[in-house]
Amino acid sequence: MKWLDALIQGVLLGGMYAQYALGMALMFGVMRLVNIAHGDLVVLLALIGISASVAFGIGPLPLVLILVPLAAIIGWSLQKFVLNKVVGADSLPSLIATFGLSIALQNLMLEIWSADTRSMRGGGIESASIDIGGIYIGLLPVLILVAATLLTGGLDLTMHRTRFGRALRAAAADTEAAAMTGVNPRVVYAYATAIAVGILGLSGVFFALRATVSPADGPAQLIYAFEAVIIGGMGSIWGGFVGSMVLGIAQAIGYRIDPGFGTLAGHLVFLTVLATRPQGLMSRG
Amino acid sequence: MTTANITLPTHPGASIPDVTVIRHTGSSRIAAAACAILLVAMISMPWWGQSGHIRWVVEFSVYLAIAQMWNLLAGYAGLVSVGQQAFVGVAGYTMFVLASNFGINPFLAVWLSVLVPGLLALPTYALLHRLDGPYFAIGTWVVAEAVKLIVLNIGYVNAGSGMTLRVMSQYTLHQREVGIIWLCASMLLVTVGGSYWLLRSRHGLALTAMRDNPVAAESQGVNVKRLRFLIFVAAAMGTGLAGSIYYMAQLRITPAAGFNPSWANICIFIVMVGGVGTIEGVLVGALIYFVADRFFAQYGAVYMVILGLMTLLTALYARQGIWGLISSRIHIPLFPVGRKLIGPSPAKTGGTP
Repeated sequence: MKWLDALIQGVLLGGMYAQYALGMALMFGVMRLVNIAHGDLVVLLALIGISASVAFGIGPLPLVLILVPLAAIIGWSLQKFVLNKVVGADSLPSLIATFGLSIALQNLMLEIWSADTRSMRGGGIESASIDIGGIYIGLLPVLILVAATLLTGGLDLTMHRTRFGRALRAAAADTEAAAMTGVNPRVVYAYATAIAVGILGLSGVFFALRATVSPADGPAQLIYAFEAVIIGGMGSIWGGFVGSMVLGIAQAIGYRIDPGFGTLAGHLVFLTVLATRPQGLMSRG
Repeated sequence: MTTANITLPTHPGASIPDVTVIRHTGSSRIAAAACAILLVAMISMPWWGQSGHIRWVVEFSVYLAIAQMWNLLAGYAGLVSVGQQAFVGVAGYTMFVLASNFGINPFLAVWLSVLVPGLLALPTYALLHRLDGPYFAIGTWVVAEAVKLIVLNIGYVNAGSGMTLRVMSQYTLHQREVGIIWLCASMLLVTVGGSYWLLRSRHGLALTAMRDNPVAAESQGVNVKRLRFLIFVAAAMGTGLAGSIYYMAQLRITPAAGFNPSWANICIFIVMVGGVGTIEGVLVGALIYFVADRFFAQYGAVYMVILGLMTLLTALYARQGIWGLISSRIHIPLFPVGRKLIGPSPAKTGGTP
């Protein structure tokens, strides 16, 4: 029962990671762009959400309606004004540019919100749970998992069934060839990053409801998203989802073995996958 | 001008060009002299300097050393690591354990502690070398996090509460200062001086070729894989040496400090803003970071916002950093690693020696 509980909690934790991993799978896996500030953007949106909910007394749902467009605008600007300038064969400039952005964001948030941890009140939803045969399942984590599954399925369909998805895959495969067929890679990339960061608007609200948030939390979220994408396999949208589940389960089981072992168990699974199946679990070959 | 006539290996029958190779300039000779004077000033500092200033010199030397190690990695081997704190931490901890628990002289323990980051670098590289660019970078970060979490769980090194270097109390303040400053001077000679020597040697040509185009370098007979591996291990050991010295001066180490990702931030800022691939750039970057950290940290985290934005702007608009901007306007190389060939003068006849 203890391990079944760990498994279930792990899948639910994986749902949270899957939301971060989704944007990462799109940018890192498909566009081959590195955004070191990915985790810091989640934290920024979560903190903005918490402050807005306190200041204006708005609930989680209206907040999502405000934060998602805001996040999409941030993502679009990030691509247009920063990443589009460093797109190219060499990935070092995008790594360094977003690394600098990450440092700047973390310290800016530290100045604005101080190092305190804070959390969002969701009117009871954050603590509601259902008892199924002695295992307590939180309503919010289930909601997060459902949202992650729907978003992953939706993004996967977008990538394979729409003009935009085709244009994005074409631009990522061969920027110049795509440009010759009438695709403007920079415009397509800007929309893709708007989607990747826009999802973080939703994740930010979930993150703030589910856990405590402090300005220094970004790097950990970035590492989890990265690990999920690599474990699952690059270039596959569902790969990031599967990787998140594996990571969540590894961490939850690790925590049951020893509270100091949880995060480490996740890292060790990641390193094992890297050593034995570097192309990821979902990729063919 | 320092000149040297060299015999170029050529095919039999090909005429050997009578070229003179210039390896120094006026500015570089002044810089070499200044370095020698600064080094003498440094090792004599315990007899004339204040303790506070000695600590500054130790700190600055550590920044210079770890940044130069990162410069070799990123600037020449094309290996961008954001996990150098793993090597800082394990070396620091090894030194504390050797000195406190095994009774080894701490000044000797600093040198012995360098072996552990070297050993850690072997499996790390074996695991990560298949990953390119950004994957490698974040992979090193995960390794560093994993090592930190393992140390956090080891009761032998006091887990999360860290260790104190009590054995240093057997020395007077003056003795400690002499020991640490001399360690720093040796560290700079090994890391920065060693890199300079390496880059000026025959291997430097291979490194430069690899930096500019790894594929072309491979086709010219440079063993890129082996060279990358050796640089990764050497940089791990150099970074570890700096970490050991830093925590010896601090007298205390904790997992949170020793394995702090800010060590990687420091490397990246100094090298990218200063100028990647040059020793001068590291010097410029380290000066900026040191001054910012020393004098603006008291006003809160705003200076880190500015340093972060500077890194962003360099990546967008000035890839060669501040030193690159300077050297594109005026030619004053301080640590030249290139070779300038002066063609044969018409008056001079005869073969090369």
